[in-house]
Amino acid sequence: MNIQTNSVMQKKILKTIALIGVVVFGFSVHVFAQQNITVKGTVYNENNATLPGATISVKGTTIGTTTDLDGKFTLLVPATAKTIVVSFIGMEPQEVPVTSGPIIVNLTTTATALSEVVVIGYGTVRKNQVTTSISSVSQKDLKNLRVTGVDQALQGKLAGVSVTNNSGQPGGGVALRVRGLTSINSNDPLIVIDGVPFTSNTVSSSGYDGLGGGRGQTGNSFLANINPNDIESIDVLKDASAQAIYGSQGANGVIMITTKKGKSPEGKVSYDGYYGTAQITRRLDVMNLRQFAEYQNAVVTNPSTEFMDPSLLGAGTNWQDAIFRTGYTKSHSLSFSSGKDKTSYFASASYFDQSGCIEGSDYKRYTTRFNLDHTVKNWLNFGLSANIVRSIQNVALADNAPSGTIWLACIQNPLIPVTNSDGTWGGGVTVNGVTYAQDNPVADSKSRGNEVIQNNIFGNMYAEIKFLKELTLKNEVSYTLGTRNNTAYQLGVNVGPRILQSTLIDTRNNSYYYALRNYMNYNKNIGKHYIGLTAGHEAQYSYWEQISGKKVDLTNNILDLSAGSTVQTTWELNGGKGDWSMESYFVRGNYIYDNRYSLSVSYRADASSNFGPNNKWGYFPGVSLGWTITNEKFFEPVKKTISYMKIRLGYGGVGNQNLPNGAPNPPYTALVSIWPGPAGFGSINGQATNYLAGIANPDLSWEKVITSNAGIDMSFLKNRIELTLDVYKKTTTKMLLFSTGPTFLGIGSSWNDLKAPIGNIGQMTNKGFDLSITTQNIVKEDFNWTTSLIFSHYANTLDKLLNESSSLTGSVYYAGNNITYTAPGHPLGSFYGLIYDGIIRTQADLDASLPQFGYPKDETHTWLGDVKYKDINGKDANGKLTGTPDGKIDEADMTYIGSPIPKFTFGFTNTLSYKNFDVSLFLQGSYGAKIYNFMKWQLEKMDNNSLNQLTSVLDRYTAENINGSLPRYTTTNSNNSFISDRYVEDGSYMRIQNFTIGYRLPVKIAQRIKMANLRVYLSAQNLYTFTKYSGYDPEIGSYDNGILLMNVDQGHYPNPRTITMGVNVEF
Amino acid sequence: MKMKNKIIYVFIMLAIIGVSCKKDFTERTSLTSTSIDNYYNTADEVRATTSTLYSGLPWAGFMSRGLDDIGDVMSGNSHSYEGNGDYRAFVVFSQSAATPLVSYCWTAYYKVGGWAASFLQAFELKKTLGGDAVILDPAIAECRFMLGVTYFYIGRTFGAAPIIDDPGKVALGGNYNIPRYFKEDILRYAIEQMTLAEAGLPDSDVPGRVTKTAARAYLAKMFLYNQDYTNAAAKALEVINSGKYDLVPTEQYATMFNSSSMNNNIESIFAIQYQLTGNPWGAGNQLQCDRGPSNLNTSESSMWELFRPSLDFKAAWEPNDLRRPATIMEQGWTMPAWKPKTADADYNAFMANGYKYDTIQATDKGGEKNATRSNIAKYVVGPGAAFGGEQVIAMNTGQNFMMMRYADVLLIYAEAILAGNGSTSDAAALDAYNRVRTRAGLAAKLSITLNDIMHERRMEFAFEGDYWYDIQRQGFAKAKQIIEAQNRGEVGTPLYVTFSENNMYLPIPATELLQDPELAKDPVSYYNK
Repeated sequence: MNIQTNSVMQKKILKTIALIGVVVFGFSVHVFAQQNITVKGTVYNENNATLPGATISVKGTTIGTTTDLDGKFTLLVPATAKTIVVSFIGMEPQEVPVTSGPIIVNLTTTATALSEVVVIGYGTVRKNQVTTSISSVSQKDLKNLRVTGVDQALQGKLAGVSVTNNSGQPGGGVALRVRGLTSINSNDPLIVIDGVPFTSNTVSSSGYDGLGGGRGQTGNSFLANINPNDIESIDVLKDASAQAIYGSQGANGVIMITTKKGKSPEGKVSYDGYYGTAQITRRLDVMNLRQFAEYQNAVVTNPSTEFMDPSLLGAGTNWQDAIFRTGYTKSHSLSFSSGKDKTSYFASASYFDQSGCIEGSDYKRYTTRFNLDHTVKNWLNFGLSANIVRSIQNVALADNAPSGTIWLACIQNPLIPVTNSDGTWGGGVTVNGVTYAQDNPVADSKSRGNEVIQNNIFGNMYAEIKFLKELTLKNEVSYTLGTRNNTAYQLGVNVGPRILQSTLIDTRNNSYYYALRNYMNYNKNIGKHYIGLTAGHEAQYSYWEQISGKKVDLTNNILDLSAGSTVQTTWELNGGKGDWSMESYFVRGNYIYDNRYSLSVSYRADASSNFGPNNKWGYFPGVSLGWTITNEKFFEPVKKTISYMKIRLGYGGVGNQNLPNGAPNPPYTALVSIWPGPAGFGSINGQATNYLAGIANPDLSWEKVITSNAGIDMSFLKNRIELTLDVYKKTTTKMLLFSTGPTFLGIGSSWNDLKAPIGNIGQMTNKGFDLSITTQNIVKEDFNWTTSLIFSHYANTLDKLLNESSSLTGSVYYAGNNITYTAPGHPLGSFYGLIYDGIIRTQADLDASLPQFGYPKDETHTWLGDVKYKDINGKDANGKLTGTPDGKIDEADMTYIGSPIPKFTFGFTNTLSYKNFDVSLFLQGSYGAKIYNFMKWQLEKMDNNSLNQLTSVLDRYTAENINGSLPRYTTTNSNNSFISDRYVEDGSYMRIQNFTIGYRLPVKIAQRIKMANLRVYLSAQNLYTFTKYSGYDPEIGSYDNGILLMNVDQGHYPNPRTITMGVNVEF
Repeated sequence: MKMKNKIIYVFIMLAIIGVSCKKDFTERTSLTSTSIDNYYNTADEVRATTSTLYSGLPWAGFMSRGLDDIGDVMSGNSHSYEGNGDYRAFVVFSQSAATPLVSYCWTAYYKVGGWAASFLQAFELKKTLGGDAVILDPAIAECRFMLGVTYFYIGRTFGAAPIIDDPGKVALGGNYNIPRYFKEDILRYAIEQMTLAEAGLPDSDVPGRVTKTAARAYLAKMFLYNQDYTNAAAKALEVINSGKYDLVPTEQYATMFNSSSMNNNIESIFAIQYQLTGNPWGAGNQLQCDRGPSNLNTSESSMWELFRPSLDFKAAWEPNDLRRPATIMEQGWTMPAWKPKTADADYNAFMANGYKYDTIQATDKGGEKNATRSNIAKYVVGPGAAFGGEQVIAMNTGQNFMMMRYADVLLIYAEAILAGNGSTSDAAALDAYNRVRTRAGLAAKLSITLNDIMHERRMEFAFEGDYWYDIQRQGFAKAKQIIEAQNRGEVGTPLYVTFSENNMYLPIPATELLQDPELAKDPVSYYNK
């Protein structure tokens, strides 16, 4: 299979090379020599304004001129001249081939961070006017990263923004977090595209729930709907003084995306395409058949007859090799744009196709985008943006104990063949006279599916009225229409002796969202004073509805609800709907004096349908100050060294209204809800059996987040070195949580619980700093080297919950396997358990061992070969922990055994260009986070003779191997596999995230073949990872994008290594 | 545009901003649910909510694990397979505060209690909102009935434990530091709730709904556990004399457990009402998959025999007990109507004339040769409609689970008359006892001892989750004697365990102790707070 796919890849590469060859040589035209040429042209800046005073020179000569007031120039050049150079201070110089026709040149601002325009919400400012904490990244920093979504491309690129792939699954699973963990519920930032907010949170595919599996980590953020090639720049609002203008939706940070617009008066056609292959590079060292036979013979009462003589056996089935395959990625993206006179447009279409490295996982996406801006009257601008996106994702069930594909592949008996000699799926294993119907993970992947098809139409339309030069009013309407079809199915196939029943669960979801927005902007310079004012109103409404049906015994495995059994008791039919609305008023004022002192104040009021009559309105203020020291007179002497320095201070309060899963709608109410199917007595004279959903809490209110921020921006040596450092403290109070306590309350927050009331509970703090440094190491005409380093650190503490013994717990596998436990004073999602203290190896050890959980010392309880735990704590008569050992091992000895939160994360990017070659090397990593290797828990558990284990169990304790590294095999003393630090590993890693080599065709050759630009590149993603972690991949992320199971490896879908080759062409 | 027009436009826009939202734009009500305010106006509306308490939904955790792991595995009736340490703990008494299934069982009992108490509070709230007491009070009594049953289990399983009357109030208040109350107080609370239920429930109702008589049956059992023999006998006699219940005839004994046509039969006093459905998850009976033999697994029904009869239990039968084939499957057991099929031709040939339980046939060709050479037959309704059984939906059957049967009342009555004495020949006691015994085709006895009653209870109620409590209530010394004499092993590998006093009750789960340190303290009185 691998060979086949590789040869397909080779063919593709050859095809691409051939195509480039044809393009380069087939279209070449001759340029005829002449005596002297008059070259005419116009130079524009990036906003399509003409640029007076730009320098025009003939390359390699002193012949030159400058543009006039209208940006026009005329220059007589010798016939031998091939290239002219157009330059302007603060802008990127451009080389243009000499032609007889008029030349249009668009210069863009030099990409020093300080001169960039930053989007701040309902407006923009220049970066040097910013007083809040904002991180920005532009298209050229992201262009080499060949990833599905923009969110993945941001990894390691923005200080204070952490991006973790929750899964290597195509098209899914990214945890994007701004400055630590803001909320117990969703931490998804608000996405604002060209000024339009999209509040859609990460959606998980849920289809497997109904098929008896669990959820995977397949959540898609709204960002997956955007073609990364459409993006011009991204700005992230990181602190509350910046976020406050988005009020109750801004607390998790705001990702402001600016898409491309038509700029060049010359029409531009741009194509970007690539192809890549992906592979999982690691395997876990589980036993082969011979090893497994020896192991099973040693631990079962009646060994299988097949295992009589293990030396006669082969290696058996390598289930990991069976489930992993070579994946591929294909992407094509085409755009047309132009901006001339009163109209500019940008239109694009893209196709993205990725197949994953586990059977049954793939993702396809089609996008089209259209941006139009037009000046209707000199006082009226109009514009629209329209997007249509269709995506098709097939999800492999991974990341789930005990039913994920990887989990099953590792524990599956190597005796079972993938397929039997007659072509049917292998399955079933007999141990001690009982035939177990163990899953065949390959058969599962091939016969079980979970497909999500989404269609999204979104966009907006605006009219902007210019009353005065300084005063504008913008009226906007924006919308999202979405459909989401999720089918989960099991085909009727035979696996070993079992006949699996065919089942289809088909779920259809419709949703729409609209927002009306009216706001005024006033900008005025009076002498040394600058005043900017914004005021507006916004109304938003969101609605969704769902219908779901289930059928079994599908005729001929037809995946349609019309097929299948007509026995109605086997059918299921469910519905659901909900809505949400919000009304807001906002104002902002900016004042700058003499480019030295800046003040920004904003205020927003939101009313949400989520909150009850007592607290419907929430108020969110923000204030920030900036002092540009370099613009002070006294600073002049130092300016040669320190070219720019600004100090910023910000303070603000923002809100969050994300609710925990399963909250009633509206969440402050007590509802009587109907079960989706028959329960109890079924129907009571027409009244369907129902239940109480929620307990009323009319005081329910917003989650409040208060951030203080202090920052400094500096640049040295004429902007050769730029540095930004921000220090912050972010406090989340009144968190929206189910008021759950011990399970004896009888109400809770699980899917099958009667829901506890939702309250505003507790407090959490994140403190940290974000640092980014960019240096231009070498700036020469044909050799450039830029380095940028970002470094983010935060420390999270849960300060309080309802009371001092309240806690948040995260469990896996079955309820009761609590892996994480967070009580006030500790970081969220902390691992909690016993401390491993070696193995009882001798009778003397056993005699000296402390009693564990009250067990007697006998073979069925504590015995030779069992694990010893450390006695670190005891309880007094009042049940309070004493902090001193008490001579016995019990739950009092459980303690914090590691935090999944890294001490810091970093990204390190080097970009070199030499003549027409460019090279970039991007390293990314995380230090100090711990991983709970729950796979290892299972694979070294040694209490089940029919499941495969790691080869490390061959060195377990036995009477003959008393120095074994692992405890004994036992089915009676579950003590050995209690949650302990035996499975906690260091999750630090440094990854060569991307290495790219590109080649750009020289301008004159490109020109000959009618191209403005042509670049080919070869790129490796996730090339190598330096780590001590023993599992597949140290980048685990969060289960279901939550915060209570972070870095818990349950058979995680690893991130593959991807080798990509691609081409960018511009006409 | 002239300046004047522009100014007019500004005012228009400002006006639009000012009034753009209707007052109620941010007032939204649920689109899928109703609320207490405008519901619970008729008896049917109220009973549609209490219907949930009879459903498998709150009871799911109890049914899937607590029932078998505690009631039958710990008592030695069931064996749980050797390959899985999580379940083995209950065979060898190695459960601890950190054992996940202990936590699971704890949660299961309190879930029923939490739901019943929350519904009860909602009905009380409706009364304060002007709801009709005539229709709400019987529903409140049903809630109390469930609370009585639940706390009866909690007290017997964990000993001293918390009591939660109003979960919502505790949750919003945030003080979770609730102490353990004496076991006696837990049982007293259960009796109080059941007594209030008796007072508030109707004399008769539709099949399956609990009545005064059902409450009396439970009261009889609770009094018996308190060794209050007078009241136990009196309550049991009230049930017997009511004439509302009876034993099903001998020939229906097996179908009582393997056919949903017997739901709410004459013997059933309180039963979890199951629906044949997989949705909502838990509304169907999921005992079959944990119990049925693996060679009965078909495309329609799942079976994985997590629990099996123990060797000790198999040895406990008297010869010719007619209950035996209704209770367990073993060599030679057949069910001609069931014709299971798999992908294997040899298997299909072997089962062509009906299901055969055969320990000699190769196990991948239709044989079944597990560690105790037997499987549980109760609550196994078969391989599904396509294979000659009744309809099954994967893990779910539509068979009710009987929590309290009339046979129990008869044996409670006999035991209450025995009243702790060595033996009795009381005619009424003998009549009650022998009715159960003769239905099983066994000879009537002329004098009975506690051991006779306990043996009869074990055989009659095996795999119904009761025997552990019968052993435990005889005290530690007797329990130790019974448990340590049991062969808990497998064919060829006997296993005897040691039983210590701390095995009498399950430990309180570690995670609960963390959240409520009060649980680690000595219990206090609930009634003299």
